[in-house]
Amino acid sequence: MSVLTLRLAGPLQSWGASARFARRTTETAPTKSGVTGLLAAALGRDRSADLSDLAALRFAVRIDQPGTRLRDFQTAHHADTDKAMPVSERFYLADAVFVAAVAGDDDLVRKLHAAVRAPVYLPYLGRRSCPPQGPVDLGVRDAGDPVEALKAEEWQAFEWYRQQRRRDPLVTLTILGESTASSGLGDTLRDQPVSFDPRHRRYALRSIVSTSVDVPNPRFSPPVPNRRTPVPVPRHEPEALLSPMDGP
Amino acid sequence: MHLTRFRINTARLGARSLLASPQRMHAAVMSSFAGALPSDTSSSRTLWRLDRNAKAEVLLYIVSEERPDLTHLVEQAGWPTTAAWQTYDYGAFLSGLQAGGTWAFRLTANPVHHIRRKDGDPTKRTAHVTPQHQMGWLLARQEAAGFRILDTPPERRRLPQGDEFQLTVRDERRHRFEKTDAQGGRANRVPLVTVTFDGRLEVTDPEALRRTLTLGLGKAKAYGCGLMTLAKAV
Repeated sequence: MSVLTLRLAGPLQSWGASARFARRTTETAPTKSGVTGLLAAALGRDRSADLSDLAALRFAVRIDQPGTRLRDFQTAHHADTDKAMPVSERFYLADAVFVAAVAGDDDLVRKLHAAVRAPVYLPYLGRRSCPPQGPVDLGVRDAGDPVEALKAEEWQAFEWYRQQRRRDPLVTLTILGESTASSGLGDTLRDQPVSFDPRHRRYALRSIVSTSVDVPNPRFSPPVPNRRTPVPVPRHEPEALLSPMDGP
Repeated sequence: MHLTRFRINTARLGARSLLASPQRMHAAVMSSFAGALPSDTSSSRTLWRLDRNAKAEVLLYIVSEERPDLTHLVEQAGWPTTAAWQTYDYGAFLSGLQAGGTWAFRLTANPVHHIRRKDGDPTKRTAHVTPQHQMGWLLARQEAAGFRILDTPPERRRLPQGDEFQLTVRDERRHRFEKTDAQGGRANRVPLVTVTFDGRLEVTDPEALRRTLTLGLGKAKAYGCGLMTLAKAV
């Protein structure tokens, strides 16, 4: 077993799992179907191609920088006919950084790694309008479990966010993994991709178990004690030598 | 000559307004002389200084030819029923200064130099901003001003440089205010950096030192700079 880790960072991301019709919400972390789609696109597979090998990969994601939720009220018109599209609400995550990990057998993971480095179709973060910032792949790790691989990964947040957290020696990051027999049942989400066929997209339920990990903060700087100790003002009484005049 | 000491009641609104603006404080000081008219240019210099010894101990010192009447200051920024100002006879002290005497001194000043930013520009008056340069400004003027700042004995020096003299710089303040040009009527912005020097000096030229103590040292005398006072060296 090896694990491919991906850094999913960008100005905007949008990971929908239960979104339907004109209100397109986003989950707080990348979905398995979204990342699977990214990998399938990198391999150059069609929407209707078989993806059972990718869907069988074990998946986990770590929230390195949660970002903020952004709502967009979209009133688009068709470019050629100028016909109004349905008015829709779209939700995004702004300034978020995630590390996703997929685990599978060595050959498939190496193939995926090569595909992510030289993708056939460009990768995007959940929605076509959300390009990734910087390379997506972090590398292949030799680990048995995606959660274990994520625990060993460095903190990937943006520099300005690390600076903001510079007073914390360790940062606690949430990892969303898949439940196994030993970890018990977790929350369920209709996010296990079955088919990306545009005529009939299908997803099965998958269960999610949340754990957390403490990662060292490379920008940690302990607060410096205040060096501006008040300097005592020397006594200075020029009038002590003078003789006062009568009355004010 | 007169030296006047007035304690400011910092809890009062009027005091806050005066302490916030060197212009307002100067106007208040200048209006305490009944005999001086604004058109009279021959009158001698009036100097003033604020000593902020602690948060609630702020003292105004005035050195003037004429005896001031600070009633209006007491009314807006003092203790009208319990405390007034005190005026001292400065002339006797000044005439008693002798060469070789050592004194502790305090001076609030505006240390500046004149620079041009590129060739061909006229020079402009610019504040010294580091304590080292601010000290250098005073050391360059000590001889003409009639005193010499005492050296620190070598065994009492603690720093590789900067404490060769018995002189400290503290309480740097940066003001920035509007001033309307007297001729053109244009609105100018006046930047002002003031620092307070404390130290010990030896009198070298009593006559020059008397001039320094009564006429002031350096620029911005209308904004509370240039007044040096002496106290007993301990």
